[in-house]
Amino acid sequence: MPRILFTQQLRRFTVTPEVDTPATTLQGALDAAFAANPQLRGYVLDEQGHVRRHVSIFIDGRRLRDRACLAEPLGAESEIYVMQALTGG
Amino acid sequence: MNDEQLLRYSRHILLDQIGIEGQTRLLEARALVIGAGGLGSPAALYLAAAGIGTIVLCDGDTVDLTNLQRQILHHTPSVGRPKVESGRDTLHLINPDVDVIALQSRLDGERLDAEVAAATVVLDCCDNFATRHAVNRACVRRAKPLVSGAAIRFDGQISVFDRRRADGPCYHCLFPEGEDVEEVRCAVMGVFAPLTGIVGTMQAAEALKLVAGIGETLNGRLLLFDALSADWRSIQLARDPACPVCGPA
Ligand SMILES: [Zn+2]
Repeated sequence: MPRILFTQQLRRFTVTPEVDTPATTLQGALDAAFAANPQLRGYVLDEQGHVRRHVSIFIDGRRLRDRACLAEPLGAESEIYVMQALTGG
Repeated sequence: MNDEQLLRYSRHILLDQIGIEGQTRLLEARALVIGAGGLGSPAALYLAAAGIGTIVLCDGDTVDLTNLQRQILHHTPSVGRPKVESGRDTLHLINPDVDVIALQSRLDGERLDAEVAAATVVLDCCDNFATRHAVNRACVRRAKPLVSGAAIRFDGQISVFDRRRADGPCYHCLFPEGEDVEEVRCAVMGVFAPLTGIVGTMQAAEALKLVAGIGETLNGRLLLFDALSADWRSIQLARDPACPVCGPA
């Protein structure tokens, strides 16, 4: 079953559940996570429902290229990782 | 290697994976360390102690009192001095054999390209995305392995981008330029002192492995560390075939 995980950084602001979901698209997996914690939506998506610019989503190690395309299909064992680039040295 | 070097590096030489051959590679290597701050400090300290022959240290800043909470290359009497000079002095105290080249500037353009071309391995220990992308482009152009680290608050990220392996991604594949807009700085957000040590030390370890040619590096993986929960996570990364930096021209 696909699994969606969130970067530890988000834990500073809200609860970040790890969700196993039967979803077949990225949208479905995000919805499952938002159902577990509705606050997450605002951190990940903007008002248009697009992925926020500083958020990076990886599906099986591949970065989601189109921030508006949440219909991206998932494999049966896909792992989705929602994260953010860090700098600071 | 002379007798003193054999003794100095004996605990490396004892390791089957390193030995005389690996230690000789370290002594002949040239590491480019971009940034002599929180990450560059522990990274450069371990590279020098381990016997990397030449360390090019570049940073345009001077030592500030607020740096001393974590930037262990610099000591209290160094406040106000250029970081690269203070850093060079500390590295020489640890290992006078290391040739430390101190460049007091933010490298870019042709100078950056030339330094990357001359390096065996590049460590990105800087604090801003513009430099990270410039360093990545130079490393892709010159096919040099890049060890990238970042640390802010309690969060760390470490990866290796080694374009000598065809399937390896570059930094831009992971975080495209212009999309990493939210630049969070230690000066504003704060950073947990030993986090920079942990991430910078991991960078040194990856750089030494790359130079010695041993083990499995973080190429194609991003390591994420949460110091508050003492939790490490690793995610696999794929190359972006349409990447404008490392993709086919
Ligand atoms: Zn790339």
